[in-house]
Amino acid sequence: MSSLPKRYFHRRLDCGAEFAAEHLPSRNVVAFELRVLAGLVAEPAEKLGLAFQVEQTISKGTEKRSGQELSSALDALGALHGSWVGRETIGFRCTCLPEHLPAVIDLHAEMLRTPTFPDESCRVSIELAQQELTALEDDPGELSRKLTLRHAYGPLLGRHAYGERESLQRISRDDVVGFWRQHFAAAAMQIAVAGPVEPRRAADLFDRAFAGFGTARGAPAPVSLEFAAGRWHYHKDLEQQHISICWPGVSITDPSYPVERLILSILGDGMSSRLFTEVREKQGLVYWVGAWHEHPRTGGMIHLGASSTPARCGQTYATLLREVDRLAEDLTPDELQRSKTQIIARSETHGDMTRARVGELGADLFHFGRPVPLEEKNAAIAAVSTDDIRRYLVEHPRDRQCVVTLGPQAEAS
Amino acid sequence: MSEFFRQTLENGLTIHVETMPDVSSAAAGFLVRTGARDETASLAGVSHFLEHMCFKGTPRRPWQQITIDFDRMGSTYNAFTSKERTFYFGWVRRDDLDRQVELLADMMESILPPDEFDTEKKVVLEEIAMSDDQIDRHLYDLVHEKVFAGSPLAWPVLGTSQTVSDMTREQMHDYFSQRYNPANMVLVAAGAVSPDDVVASAQRHCGHWTARGARPPRRPPAFSPGGTAVARLDRFKQQALALVYPAPSAVDPADETAEALASILGGQNSRFFWNIVQAGIAPVASAYRIDYCDNGLMLLFGFCEPPNCERLIDAMQREVDKVIREGVTDDEVQRVKNRRRTALATEGEAPYHRLMQLAHDVDMFGRPRSVSERLAAVDAVTADGVRDYLKRWPMNEQPWLISVGPRSWPNQ
Repeated sequence: MSSLPKRYFHRRLDCGAEFAAEHLPSRNVVAFELRVLAGLVAEPAEKLGLAFQVEQTISKGTEKRSGQELSSALDALGALHGSWVGRETIGFRCTCLPEHLPAVIDLHAEMLRTPTFPDESCRVSIELAQQELTALEDDPGELSRKLTLRHAYGPLLGRHAYGERESLQRISRDDVVGFWRQHFAAAAMQIAVAGPVEPRRAADLFDRAFAGFGTARGAPAPVSLEFAAGRWHYHKDLEQQHISICWPGVSITDPSYPVERLILSILGDGMSSRLFTEVREKQGLVYWVGAWHEHPRTGGMIHLGASSTPARCGQTYATLLREVDRLAEDLTPDELQRSKTQIIARSETHGDMTRARVGELGADLFHFGRPVPLEEKNAAIAAVSTDDIRRYLVEHPRDRQCVVTLGPQAEAS
Repeated sequence: MSEFFRQTLENGLTIHVETMPDVSSAAAGFLVRTGARDETASLAGVSHFLEHMCFKGTPRRPWQQITIDFDRMGSTYNAFTSKERTFYFGWVRRDDLDRQVELLADMMESILPPDEFDTEKKVVLEEIAMSDDQIDRHLYDLVHEKVFAGSPLAWPVLGTSQTVSDMTREQMHDYFSQRYNPANMVLVAAGAVSPDDVVASAQRHCGHWTARGARPPRRPPAFSPGGTAVARLDRFKQQALALVYPAPSAVDPADETAEALASILGGQNSRFFWNIVQAGIAPVASAYRIDYCDNGLMLLFGFCEPPNCERLIDAMQREVDKVIREGVTDDEVQRVKNRRRTALATEGEAPYHRLMQLAHDVDMFGRPRSVSERLAAVDAVTADGVRDYLKRWPMNEQPWLISVGPRSWPNQ
């Protein structure tokens, strides 16, 4: 590992939180991400959806303010804020003008440290989650994803944020409070900051705001990815059939991750990618087709997806898999170079946005436990050869896969 | 500090450039002033289908070379078609801007390859099928179909399966020849760019284009008298509901006031959020202003469990009545301003986002608007201004009630 460029800063704060910052002096805004290392995997099996409930209700009141007052206080500072639930984290992100950063941090600390989880907010939140499950039925893309995760990722990492109707009925306010007490603590937090703020000053602000917070001693042990192969079809009255295929890849920290990233780029990144070219442009089988990978901390999963009208579904499915298999046979250096340029150039163009930079930094802390400079990531991409790609494909054969289809037709092929 | 430059080539192509000194990337795009509302009924969807075809071959490149050349630059690129415009764009590293402009300019001279026409038609039909599975698209289309009945604004941007299936390459070529010419197009660029370099690029790659006529003028549509429209679609589990009111156009001085009112009613930390969503009535209740060049809509909408239709509409109506009766507070207006200030500062960091705003502003106003100009317009909004707005754009008259989903409500 090379030493960090000076714009980066990384340390464990006295409060216990892990902190990293990227100093970007010419930017207009400062952005931060704060992750609590407890997500869907931390839910009791009979109370799926609990982490989402915590994320939804933690902002609905503090010891000082009602939820509405808290939102208004953030608005008074022009803070653009949001939160999310992941497999292994509950995250909070915010963008604000630099002069408001101290007050915005204090409000986030107030929210995370002294939530009151009002009874009525907890009751409504469960009710809304039930309604979100209904809404999910009208979103075939997300529904297909939920079904795929359930089958492919195992009982812990395959959970969906909304939980299930029965499990939601079992969640009480006490469960929400209990989850918060057990998991929310400075020692279980990762904080990433980017923008025109001096990193040490930002570190001090967070350190003071979260001093003495919580009793958890640190991050829970990572959960293993338990892949399950198989084929499933779910009938639904739709115009299109959704096809979802996945199989295990490597973790982000694996030395062959840059190779896998390039493979996914060659398959699905940009309109000259193989899937876009072969499935959409040559045959007109789909409007949407994609290839991507997802990464829990301990592993990775490669995904292919497409949606097409039922009569074309079989051909779409066959073409998707053929293109993966063909990669080992006829990859060209020009194609590889193109994908390298795509990844490296986009890291630079998108890097003009402070929010994008803090997103990278937050992911670095989560996966590597340190900032990984853009230069280091791009050098790893640039070093990949066609031989590396072929070797990866031999060492990671697509010999087990999970296939989920959703739509009016019984089978993909 | 951003600066703006404008120049017009001899053939009439206008170029607008925004320099952004603190960024390392650049974005450029061709705005074509034509969209779904500029089509005839039998050619509904031609603007959008044509946008697809512009990626399918030029005098200098077969379709595969177009996409390869985009990806060789690592461009973030695409195109979109709306009711009023078609926009082709790419976001690249600063040194690649000339190559990006050249490629986009080449696409503007598409040969609409006959042998690709039928294949791409299948792609568009798949896109229509995909959108048919989305309840929000049904709501949006039914709003336009009813509110703008008799106007081209009523037609869907994608067209219909029938109009797209029936469309011929010759019909598309005629439309293309009329609309894709310098009199009807603008080159916009933003980011780490030199205005002289952009103009030189434009001269090199577009200077030979021949000016023809501008797009036929648009007729402002009438806002059909309010009523109720229901589309019963059993395949969906939720009901999508909207109350629709007339609102100012994009160029109306009340533009920012309308945006502020929409935000106070149905944005983040809004009345709808606290009084409807957090009351458990519906997971989504929001307000959105649609702005066209000569008219606009205020759309109050939500998605709910079918038995909750009455509660959702009553709750939205109650909030409308309250805002008419009591207005909004200074504090609410200030919150909107504060959020907008941060959002505009964020937008000012990204050439891509500035490019999108430039395309909108140049199309609507005929000139770019700086972040500071827009901020000043936001700052000028007041609670009294919202009260005046509601006198001019009353929300106590009969709105359109649009309902889509498994329930025939309010008809049954």
